[in-house]
Amino acid sequence: MSEYQKFLPEDIPDSQRPFWDSLQEHAVRVQRCDDCGTWRYIPKDLCPHCHSERATWTRISGRGEVYTYTVVRRAPTPAYQAEAPYVLAHVTMAEGFRMIASLTGTEPETVKIGMPVEVAYEDVTPEWTLLTFQPAS
Amino acid sequence: MGRLADVAVAGVYLTEQGNLSHRTQPSVWWEAVRGACADAGLTLGDIDGLVGDGPQDPGLRERMPAPGLAEQLGRPLRFHARSAVGAGSTAAGLNLAAYAIAHGLAEVVVIANAVAGHAAGYASANRDEAVAAMAKLSGPYEYVYGTTRVSDCAVMAMRHMYDYGTTSEQLAEIAVAQRHGATLHPLSVHGHRGELTVSDVVGSRLIADPLHLLDCCSINQGGGAIVVTSVANAAAAGRHAPVALLGYGEGHSHIDPNAVEKLTEFPAARSAADTAFTMAGVGRDEIDVAGIGDHFTIGVLLGLEDAGFCARGEGGAFVANGGTAIGGRLPTNTAGGFLSFSHAGLCGVFTLIEVVEQLRHEAGPRQVGGATLGFVSGVGGVQQAHSAAILGRA
Repeated sequence: MSEYQKFLPEDIPDSQRPFWDSLQEHAVRVQRCDDCGTWRYIPKDLCPHCHSERATWTRISGRGEVYTYTVVRRAPTPAYQAEAPYVLAHVTMAEGFRMIASLTGTEPETVKIGMPVEVAYEDVTPEWTLLTFQPAS
Repeated sequence: MGRLADVAVAGVYLTEQGNLSHRTQPSVWWEAVRGACADAGLTLGDIDGLVGDGPQDPGLRERMPAPGLAEQLGRPLRFHARSAVGAGSTAAGLNLAAYAIAHGLAEVVVIANAVAGHAAGYASANRDEAVAAMAKLSGPYEYVYGTTRVSDCAVMAMRHMYDYGTTSEQLAEIAVAQRHGATLHPLSVHGHRGELTVSDVVGSRLIADPLHLLDCCSINQGGGAIVVTSVANAAAAGRHAPVALLGYGEGHSHIDPNAVEKLTEFPAARSAADTAFTMAGVGRDEIDVAGIGDHFTIGVLLGLEDAGFCARGEGGAFVANGGTAIGGRLPTNTAGGFLSFSHAGLCGVFTLIEVVEQLRHEAGPRQVGGATLGFVSGVGGVQQAHSAAILGRA
């Protein structure tokens, strides 16, 4: 099996590890403010709503709908280019925040804004699991 | 203490643009600065302030450009500052220079951009290397999925089309208008390729849907510089009509490209423009010529809406039928912009220089008749940081 050639996360601070650990467990957990309930994604030190530093890593539904997307035909590196064209989706999760990941399991031509999707997982190396979105079942 | 409006761009200079791998950053930097000083009727010995990069020293010395520049000039500099808003840095740098001059911290400040040689990463003349390096301007929550700067802006265009019915043909009009300007500028990178049509743009290959190759900026090297001094100094030199900084504003909103409520409107850009227009005391309808960050055609459309030149969602209609062309309702990026003139390093200097040449009435065949007020906006990253400036004939 060849070595993974695409980008892996770098310089993840310890404070953000719980998110990546949750992917390895195939259950997305996101920071949720202990004081006002605001979801905090991408992980941050402060709640942008109430500025509290307290948050709990909370499992999310994993469901959402496509807010916008693109089909990448010119990729950043040869390893990504080998998979082009591929779909990048910006998804409004049921909890209200947006996440970006690839969208797989369907042809690029069938992707539409508003289509329901759900998260799936790609165990790309023994250390790292990444997200992908797939059409909702 | 003086006012910003007492400060002017007195000199400008553009070097050759394109593949400058046979030259070095310092050689291009010095050519640009020497040329801008001469254009202002000044000499290198008049410089007492620097904003941004100097002629590069190796290693960590790059972080302290002013002492190195002072040593070569043989006199101490009195001021150095650096803005950090990417391609928006030039308008931001002009504001820093204007403050220094208005407060008596310096009299003659230079701002230069020079990209040449076998630079690594985003400054490389090699397109593949530059694209790969720029991928990691995003954080790991995005770049692991193979995002690019094009994809970051393509998703904005896709949603704008969904919300407002904007079309690829409307975006193409921006590229067509700017290419025409580039054909009229002898230093432009792509002007020699000739005019574009809307069909050329929408018929070019897709890079990230819905953006085509010809919706995307050039990747090249090049240089340019401006010299900033008091309106009185500029007028005394008598070389050109001084172009004053009448208003300025900034907005910084988010670092993760997706961490903003909508990807079709950027409140920080509106805030930057509002601040600048209020300071200048002029209205949108008084602006004769504009320079708006155009890494991709959608950037111009969003920039026009965010700056308030048209209502939200009406950018497509605004740019249609040559709206941003020379002779159109708001001539924008009249030298060709990043799409067709040049895109190198902190390329906002090219945007600014073209607006200055328009306001001096020295833009030759590109001249917008009677231009007296100009708007310049710069975007850092992917709509994360914004600067806006109003310039006018002093």
